[in-house]
Amino acid sequence: MYSTIAFTLESGKQHGYRRGILQLKRPDGTVLEVKTPGFVTATSRGVVSHLTQRLCEQTEAVRWIHATFESLYVATRPFPASWRSYSQACDPDIVFALTDTPFTPPPFSQKRSVKSVERSLAWLSDLLRSDTSEYTHPTNVFVQMAGGVEHDARAAFADGLTSRLYDKEADMVRPLQTLDEGVAGYSFDLAPLRATLSGDRLTGRLYDKIPAHLVPEVLHPWDLTQYTGDLADLVRTSLSALPEQKPRLVNSCTGPHEILQLIQSAGVDLFDAAWAQRAADIGIALDFQFPVPQQYRDHVAASGDDDAAGENDGARQAGIPIGYNLYNFQYAHDFRPLTDHPFPSAARSPVAPSTVILHSSIDSGEVGESPSPFSRAYIHHLLHTHEMSAHALLLTHNLSVLDAFFNGVRELLGSPGVCDQVIGDEIAIFSRVYDASSSLFNVSAKCWAEVELARGKGRLAREKAKELLS
Amino acid sequence: MPALQFEILATCHTTKARVSRMTLPHGVTALPAFMPVATQAAIKGLTPQQVESLGITLILNNTYHLNLRPGTKVLQEAGGAHKFQGWRHNLLTDSGGFQLVSLSKFTKITEEGALFSSPFTGEPTMLTPEESISIQHAIGADIMMQLDDVVSSLTTGPRVAEAMARSVRWLDRCIEYHEKSGRTDVQNLFAIVQGGLDPELRNQCLDEMIQRKDRVAGYAIGGLSGGEAKDTFWRIVKQCADKLPADKPRYCMGVGFAEDLLVCAALGVDMADCVFPTRTARFGVALTFKGPMNLKLGKHATEFVPIDENCPCPTCKGGTTRAMLHHIVTLETVAAHAVTMHNLTFQAQVMGGARDAILQGTFPDYLHKFFDNYFGDAGYPEWCVNALRSVGVDLLAGKEGAKIVQGDGARWEYSTTKRK
Repeated sequence: MYSTIAFTLESGKQHGYRRGILQLKRPDGTVLEVKTPGFVTATSRGVVSHLTQRLCEQTEAVRWIHATFESLYVATRPFPASWRSYSQACDPDIVFALTDTPFTPPPFSQKRSVKSVERSLAWLSDLLRSDTSEYTHPTNVFVQMAGGVEHDARAAFADGLTSRLYDKEADMVRPLQTLDEGVAGYSFDLAPLRATLSGDRLTGRLYDKIPAHLVPEVLHPWDLTQYTGDLADLVRTSLSALPEQKPRLVNSCTGPHEILQLIQSAGVDLFDAAWAQRAADIGIALDFQFPVPQQYRDHVAASGDDDAAGENDGARQAGIPIGYNLYNFQYAHDFRPLTDHPFPSAARSPVAPSTVILHSSIDSGEVGESPSPFSRAYIHHLLHTHEMSAHALLLTHNLSVLDAFFNGVRELLGSPGVCDQVIGDEIAIFSRVYDASSSLFNVSAKCWAEVELARGKGRLAREKAKELLS
Repeated sequence: MPALQFEILATCHTTKARVSRMTLPHGVTALPAFMPVATQAAIKGLTPQQVESLGITLILNNTYHLNLRPGTKVLQEAGGAHKFQGWRHNLLTDSGGFQLVSLSKFTKITEEGALFSSPFTGEPTMLTPEESISIQHAIGADIMMQLDDVVSSLTTGPRVAEAMARSVRWLDRCIEYHEKSGRTDVQNLFAIVQGGLDPELRNQCLDEMIQRKDRVAGYAIGGLSGGEAKDTFWRIVKQCADKLPADKPRYCMGVGFAEDLLVCAALGVDMADCVFPTRTARFGVALTFKGPMNLKLGKHATEFVPIDENCPCPTCKGGTTRAMLHHIVTLETVAAHAVTMHNLTFQAQVMGGARDAILQGTFPDYLHKFFDNYFGDAGYPEWCVNALRSVGVDLLAGKEGAKIVQGDGARWEYSTTKRK
């Protein structure tokens, strides 16, 4: 028995912004919904990093999570022939078909490209097979859209999905007439595409959990939307011949600018939040809204915003940063909460426990009422003292900011009488007002690495090595 | 109104244990209790609300660390360490003396204070008793500790006597400074009994410090838990607890193993602190009434049950399995948080159980039950048997052929850490 997925598009079209509800029904009758455009929280080894179970439950922004199989199955690399049984053992609500994505450095030969498309289709039909007695074909499969950065290859893959199957291939997945009939949604991983486009596998690495000692000495700011236009084209190519009524998920996006562009020009419904989660790892409190609030709408690029002066690492500031780096010493005495908005996050709106464990008959079980928000100064302190709580607090905050952002997007898309012009304008204002460069992430990553190397795991060994050198 | 009220609710008919209610400016704490350590103004990985939900009402901050970061200026601006870290219950700070000796290689003790090089600038910096109290005033702890002259518990010779005598003189300076500050109604000062492992020196120190009884709110037993033999440790604790005034709380510093906590409670100690339960959690060791459980061991990979099915902590109650913890332990910070919550709950359960037992007059039975469960298979540490015999409880009574472990006898499941 598999979960079934229903996607209702409330408004929208094939290649433009869409608003909808993705509903998942489990075999036991549980119904889960996510409103789109929306996001999926990333996990590591099956947990949302930094959030204990309770904190995770309390963070309303965490609704759907993406658990990568490799992080649960530590023994060896998974191999395609066993994917079906692995996925059944994990029993996820949604399973991704395996895709043959080349992991050698780009560029790739024509032959490799063709091979990748054929293999990915074969692996999908293997996951969908229903030709043995113990199998019925699963109803909860998302397919990773193959083809790399070659438009022809992407179109060929999409064509492979929708082509009528015959003979042995048709028998394998009966009663499906095409592979696409067995597909519940489409997914796109931007990371390998971006790496190929840029010719640099490290582009975007700030969003990966790289060890502190691998953070480069010099980090040049790059435009987070540099490849977004090309990526949107690739997504569109994949989708052009496919039905519009299926949800589209994008992984490895770089931030709100890219998200808005992909919503606007490629009709993407769901996004990963890894970049916002990484921000919490490296001391960034996100701070942006959509639509852009009144007080910022007239912001003119390169005005040398005071708050941002310390953050831009010498680069010209192109707009208001989408967050702030709490490692910055300017926050040492800043007792304001992370944000004025009363987000339901453990950082902004901590909740007194509803129950307290009583350990003896004379324990009072007293709780303090309405706890105050945690201050920037406190989180700044926790970051510099290498305390884990900093990241838990920042993560609940960042995910709440992202949740509010998507709420803003959905509200605008759903407001009565809204037209392309208005939506386009709002997205343009956002892109103009907020900085789309990686400066904030660069500076924060360096601050994080510095504290990590000075106070993190392996500190004593590093100190010893230094002593020996001098 | 004094800033500390100490009300003894019951005493054990056999041992020296007592149950009390200690009322401080930030609420009531039932004793005997274990105090978790939040060195840098955070219990590692947890929010204050999570700590509060565990039924913990008294935690520790470290003066030495908070003075370095965030510094007294930030603390004063924040309105004290309680507000800074969002902790609404009671807070105790040490004096910074211990860290000066344990963390700084170049500390030099003079009569004026401890001279050390600043870890930030390398500049010579002096921590005097007055300065220590002044920092603790900025922190605003409900209980402050005097600055003492700390020597390793393994030190012998005239240095021990000198440190003891100086600790008494420094106590006087701390008292003077605190009384003049006008903060005696909102903060309390505890004295720290020193004297190393020498009963005669301990006796002199006790005499001196008890003379100052009306000017201190409680007493700590310091200079122990530094690697001395356990059989010496308990004898010094007993000597101090026996002599200290009954109407003041007694705090044994640096004690955190469950067996140590219960022995100390039986000897008449009310409070103890240690980083052990939180630190060991980060290394993947969960504490249970059957002994410590090393979650890194391969055998836990297929155990789909909580650490302890009877444990009320959020980790166990929430159904997190040993198998899941095994999968993420020491790799994901979430595992550290989950096991930390469990271990702090375990410590609180051990002490809460002791409180109830003392109230109900069943503390000796409680000790028997605990030690049988914890050590029954592996063997009873001889020092625990000796210590509890000294207060009328014979762990081995009726247990012919019970196994006894000589020496310090801690029992750990550390044998192999190979993953499956």
